[in-house]
Amino acid sequence: MERRLQITFFALSLLALALILAAGYQANTPSWKTYQRSFLQLEAQGEPNAVAKAAVLASPPEIHQVLLPGLQRVDRCTTCHLGVEDPTMKNAPEPFRYHAGLGPHIPSKFGCTICHGGQGLATDKEGAHGSVAFWPNPLLNKDYIRASCGRCHKEGDVPGVPELTEGRRLFETQGCRGCHKLNGVGGSIGPDLTGEGANRRSPDWLERHFLAPNAVSTGSAMPNFHFTKEQARDLTYYMLSLTNEEMGSYFSSVRLIPSPEYGQQLFVEKNCLACHAVGGAGAKTAPDLLGVTKRHSIEWLDEQLVNPELVYPGSSMPEYDLEVNARKALVAFMATATAEDVQLILSKKTRAMTPEDVAIEAGKQNFSRFGCVGCHGTELQGGVANPNAQGGEVPSLLHVSDDYTKDEVIAIIRNGRVPPIDKASGPTPPLYMPSWKNVLSDEDIHRIADYLWSKQEKKKDAW
Amino acid sequence: MNLIREIWQSIVRRDPLSTDKGKSELVFLNVWLHIHPAKVKKENMKFRHTFYLGFITFFLFLILLTTGIALMCYYRPYPPQAYQDMKDLQFVVFMGPFLRNMHRWAAHGMVICVFLHMCRVFYTGSYKKPRQFNWVIGVLLLLVTLSLSFTGYLLPWDQLAYWAITVGTNIGSYAPLIGGQVRELLLGGHSVGEGALIRFYVLHVAVLPSIIILLTIVHFWRVRKDGGLSRPVWKLEPEKTEPLVTIGAPAVTAPLKTVAASKEKTYGLMEVVTGKPIFETITPEEEEDTVFSYPYAFVREAVVLMATVTTIMTMSLFLNAPLEELANPAKTPNPAKAPWYFLGLQELVSHSALLGGVVAPALMVLALLAIPYLDRNPSRRLADRKLILWLFTIFVVANLVLIVVGTFFRGPGWALVPPWVHVVGGTE
Repeated sequence: MERRLQITFFALSLLALALILAAGYQANTPSWKTYQRSFLQLEAQGEPNAVAKAAVLASPPEIHQVLLPGLQRVDRCTTCHLGVEDPTMKNAPEPFRYHAGLGPHIPSKFGCTICHGGQGLATDKEGAHGSVAFWPNPLLNKDYIRASCGRCHKEGDVPGVPELTEGRRLFETQGCRGCHKLNGVGGSIGPDLTGEGANRRSPDWLERHFLAPNAVSTGSAMPNFHFTKEQARDLTYYMLSLTNEEMGSYFSSVRLIPSPEYGQQLFVEKNCLACHAVGGAGAKTAPDLLGVTKRHSIEWLDEQLVNPELVYPGSSMPEYDLEVNARKALVAFMATATAEDVQLILSKKTRAMTPEDVAIEAGKQNFSRFGCVGCHGTELQGGVANPNAQGGEVPSLLHVSDDYTKDEVIAIIRNGRVPPIDKASGPTPPLYMPSWKNVLSDEDIHRIADYLWSKQEKKKDAW
Repeated sequence: MNLIREIWQSIVRRDPLSTDKGKSELVFLNVWLHIHPAKVKKENMKFRHTFYLGFITFFLFLILLTTGIALMCYYRPYPPQAYQDMKDLQFVVFMGPFLRNMHRWAAHGMVICVFLHMCRVFYTGSYKKPRQFNWVIGVLLLLVTLSLSFTGYLLPWDQLAYWAITVGTNIGSYAPLIGGQVRELLLGGHSVGEGALIRFYVLHVAVLPSIIILLTIVHFWRVRKDGGLSRPVWKLEPEKTEPLVTIGAPAVTAPLKTVAASKEKTYGLMEVVTGKPIFETITPEEEEDTVFSYPYAFVREAVVLMATVTTIMTMSLFLNAPLEELANPAKTPNPAKAPWYFLGLQELVSHSALLGGVVAPALMVLALLAIPYLDRNPSRRLADRKLILWLFTIFVVANLVLIVVGTFFRGPGWALVPPWVHVVGGTE
């Protein structure tokens, strides 16, 4: 018995040792090391002599990572995708191929997952490509990868991605905000779309959803807008680009992007308007900056910002000690700055109009911006199907003054309204007027009423 | 050579192990081993008496202590870095997954073994006089073990952790008057967030380990002071014809003799503390049944240690500890479940928050603590204890059934769903 116990003890100790060694072996042979060895062999092929080859092959394996602290991201993709920044790897097999056409978006500065999705922290293929349990962001399908541009480039045309511009336009004009919130503005009938891109629904799902909401999401209250295939695709692009992450401002803040917005920020910060004017707006002590980028070369302006005395002997402009991207950003801003921009900076107020126009125009903007048009139509014509509501559709607002006083309409906007039901036994109509009092100020609501009444009068004239 | 011998002798002062004196001295001259008696009864080493559950629990705790300290080197207790650190352990730390798996499985194992150990002590009647207080310490150790496991559950900061702790602390908040405040104190806020994470971390790595170590010391100490391991039930005399005799002690009826202290002699404390020992003692004929702890007890303990370690290592090599998505307070899984050992409670809560969440667990803990004082039956023989054995068995089975129902039979909305039915789309 005692002998057997001693043997058992030694056997178990050996087993424990073996298990530790097995765990160590498992930890020491990750798949990324195999990839790195293949890559070194590929690199060594290009070396002229044996010594250089041996030197390349002797490089120790290591994890490569891009840290994006402001975005809480760590991208280790380049641990295996070793050739992304190496043009000589243009024809190399994956995962080593060079990533062409990136422009300024260098992977070592921008990371990979901000565009491609996937799990940047992972160091094995399945995990990194993200189609694993409990990782919400698998790699984005190639056909939709350009949608990611919109995650930083949130405004204006994105070169090469017309889908985004069109998607954005559709979103703002078709009244999507009537039901969906985006960045805090919009209704609450449908889901908030602010971080929709991060949800990473499959693009295919989104596209089918836009073509026929009920086909993929049974019982959805979303009306069929009868989008064309192209429009559905544009909207899908836009949806995929929506994110909570402040990517653009992160990359600006680490001064990777000399954007005009960053330039404007500096322009205000450094108080350039204390001496300069743009198109007559501002101070007159120093030269007017309107069109300054046409009068001087970029290099000249850059040098002027570094060392004013040198370029312009006797210049009273102080040295601002700006780093290179800040100077680029300032120049970029000056290239686009107009007198109105500067007025805006100076006054921080909107442009003036007659008070009545202002009210009606603001009302119209609100009506579109908060998505009223989604159900009531861009011309107040209504007509969106609403099964089992009286009339079976959302009513037109063109004759609203016949049935209600202005105050009553304001009360309806404030408190919302459930449409009268056609058949008591039928289902609840999916669409209803939400309460806006928590979203819109009283002023906003009054302006919308002003806008509605401005439309009514025109109709009355027609009678 | 002399120097080497001198160094050796400065460390080891005992006689050679080939002698009985050496075997005894190995035990009581060594600070780590002296918690053992120098000699043990053969019957007490029998596997079927204790199943070595106390040892296994202790060894699991040692595994948890070492892996836990290693894990602390890689962990930042604030969101969302905590979750990123879990991913780093998984993907870039050398043997990181192995380390975390060992900690995880040893933790679950410890909860199970503490409970089994308690059952063993109950069924053998070992909580009876003079061991009542050590049973109380044991129940406290069970509670601290559960708390350790519960606080550790939050640290990965994934969905599993976040919602298990949200549900778990909600159960606690059903306590009248103080429930809400206790929850707030524990979480450092009204919901699980940064404050909760740092508090749970401090409890998990500093406060609770200190408490469990202190209580364990008392627990072990009392095992010895209460007379060592209880005797196996099958060795108990059917009928005590004569009271047990303590070697050299006066008979029960004999009055204690007071002898005047001799002036020629210095007295040790042991000689001053007189009186009858309170525990089961060895009769002269039973002296034959004892063996030296070295090597008989030690080799058995060593085998159990290595069996525990290799079991946990094997599990850790092949089974990965779960890690779900990053904690998201806006996305409630349906159903959100507490850690498995609290699912019995959650099941009770689903029927009645106050009765199930407060009254029942409070009564359970109080009943456990009071068992040795309420059970006045001096006999440890199974045949004499039918009623209480039934009661305890019902308690154990009820707990297990509730946990199994809560774990495997509850689906979205806490509806009764058998595990073989697949529910689609539970999360939104």
